[in-house]
Amino acid sequence: MQRISIDPVTRLEGHGKIDIFLDDEGNFANSYFQIPELRGFERFCVGRQVEEVPILTNRICGVCPEAHHMAGAKAVDAVYHVDPPRTAKMLRELLYMAFYCTDHTTHFYALAGPDYVMGPTAPVAERNILGVIHKVGLEIGGKVIQMRKYGHEVIEMIGGRKVHPCTSIPGGLTKGITEEQRQEIEKMGHWAVEFAQFSLQLLNEIVLGNKEYVDLILGDIYTHRTHYIGMVDENNKVNFYDGKVSVVDPEGTRLGKYAPNEYTDWIAERVEPWTYLKFPYLKKVGWKGFVDGKESGVYMATPLSRLNAADGMATPLAQAEYERFYSTLGGKPVHQRLAINWARLVELLYAAERWVELATDPEITSDNFRTIPTEKPTEGVGIVEAPRGTLTHHYTTDERGITTKVNLIVGTTNNYASLQMSTKKAAQNLIKKGTEVTEGILNMVEMAFRAYDPCFGCATHSLPGQMPLEVTIHDANGDPIQVLKQYC
Amino acid sequence: MKTLVVGLGNPILGDDGIGWRVAQKLQDTGKLPPGVDVVYLAVGGISLMESLVGYDKALIIDAINTNQVPVGTVSSFLLEDLASPSAGHLSSVHDTSLQNAMQIGHELNLKLPDEIIVISIEAMKIYDFSEELSTEVSAAIPEAMRITLELLSSHFLDSHE
Repeated sequence: MQRISIDPVTRLEGHGKIDIFLDDEGNFANSYFQIPELRGFERFCVGRQVEEVPILTNRICGVCPEAHHMAGAKAVDAVYHVDPPRTAKMLRELLYMAFYCTDHTTHFYALAGPDYVMGPTAPVAERNILGVIHKVGLEIGGKVIQMRKYGHEVIEMIGGRKVHPCTSIPGGLTKGITEEQRQEIEKMGHWAVEFAQFSLQLLNEIVLGNKEYVDLILGDIYTHRTHYIGMVDENNKVNFYDGKVSVVDPEGTRLGKYAPNEYTDWIAERVEPWTYLKFPYLKKVGWKGFVDGKESGVYMATPLSRLNAADGMATPLAQAEYERFYSTLGGKPVHQRLAINWARLVELLYAAERWVELATDPEITSDNFRTIPTEKPTEGVGIVEAPRGTLTHHYTTDERGITTKVNLIVGTTNNYASLQMSTKKAAQNLIKKGTEVTEGILNMVEMAFRAYDPCFGCATHSLPGQMPLEVTIHDANGDPIQVLKQYC
Repeated sequence: MKTLVVGLGNPILGDDGIGWRVAQKLQDTGKLPPGVDVVYLAVGGISLMESLVGYDKALIIDAINTNQVPVGTVSSFLLEDLASPSAGHLSSVHDTSLQNAMQIGHELNLKLPDEIIVISIEAMKIYDFSEELSTEVSAAIPEAMRITLELLSSHFLDSHE
């Protein structure tokens, strides 16, 4: 048995590791995508005043603290049995739209972009955000930074701080916004809509205009036919902040929708001996292993899943892009994982349009931004769509509001089984007997999991903050015969 | 001249909170020279670079894991002297390294500090959730403060240790 190990150890977002095993002939035998999670976060949150938890959980991860803050805030509302006023819900959602625009922009331009703009097998020295900026122009780089700046400004205005918001409390928010702030937010929102349209145009020209990339996206290597989940509003349109979670099968048939407090009826977790992280699956379908199909409970929760699980987008420009997405890719649902990147841009446009909608609502500047809780705290579940997938926070407290149990199912955890299958399939197709495992091939395996934008969950930023990649090929005795190293 | 002091790290991830702690104590001394701002951040890469925009100099205080010096050792060095193993590649699946981000900022003509010094404290526990620092790391706070204040009063003058 030979072994190839892809070990992206990072101090920034925890670390994951891919082990690829070859048989005696040198053909692919199996692969495992391991995620050693940070230890003890849920335990760390026990014994706290429950309203502290949305502040604590937003430090699980430096990438999407806003998502944890929102899911946590909703869970705390539920714990206190309090329904925030419309203005509070809209302000939270507005903050969240600004966050989505920031996050999706970063992923498209800095992370997925290099593979498409520079090419999946381009030399590493060029296949990065700097290469993208050089190729498509400095002006675009400036726009990306501008989009992020606007997003952070809105987050700070509503959330009290850049990056790690802290204003959501049981029943609403600690503060509202002024008319001057509203005008500023609206102006930035209009800019964001134009930027999102521009980004979709860029995708059209660079990716969809290139047959090689289209073939790569549509090819079998990056395709899996699984179930999909995503939050929808009462009209079954995609919603990131509120609603029910829609579940569709691989043929696109809706199996049902669940409210946050019903999640345990739908989601169960499978434990495998070779990894720390559990594999969630659809309880009503059942665990049949890491396989595709209607009979397998494996599901995905990503931008593509949200589009697949919904009937459309709630804003006009995004709806038009939604229709174009499915007509180009051959109808619903779309199973090609690399289409997640395109779906992300459809969502970017929706988030920007929704930003403007909320900023122009007459009640957004109302002073009615909190309902004071009056009931005893017990138990509550909050769900939002994090950029990487459905995020569930479940808190139980004693009658004083001290947490006795905390359960979190984070975006990437949902996708763990699907990620395992995707990396396996990519490796299986790309690494064959006699194949020299080049950096380009390694990157194409990486692309299989990068499309999910997986988050390994933490916000440790101790230096040197690197993500070395090590590929070790072992012979049948387990001895290393070839080592490919990237930055380690 | 505007200088930014960044306390970097995650305050609930054990020794990774050392950067915050030092920055906080520095602010509490009330001895910071004029023109010095202090922030606490739990971000990296592009976001960290963005927070430096508009400053002439910057000091970043952070935990480090070299496994080559005793826990609690305080060092300081120029950012460019810190290896950027991720150069040209993703340093994480969501972000890039600070060095890459700085390069992007320069290419985009953002006003970034012309000198960035990292003050690092060798850490022990950074993978367990805790608000406590380990004893050795906690004991390094005065030394980290001394070095930071010295650098600030010298306006750096390339006098990092």
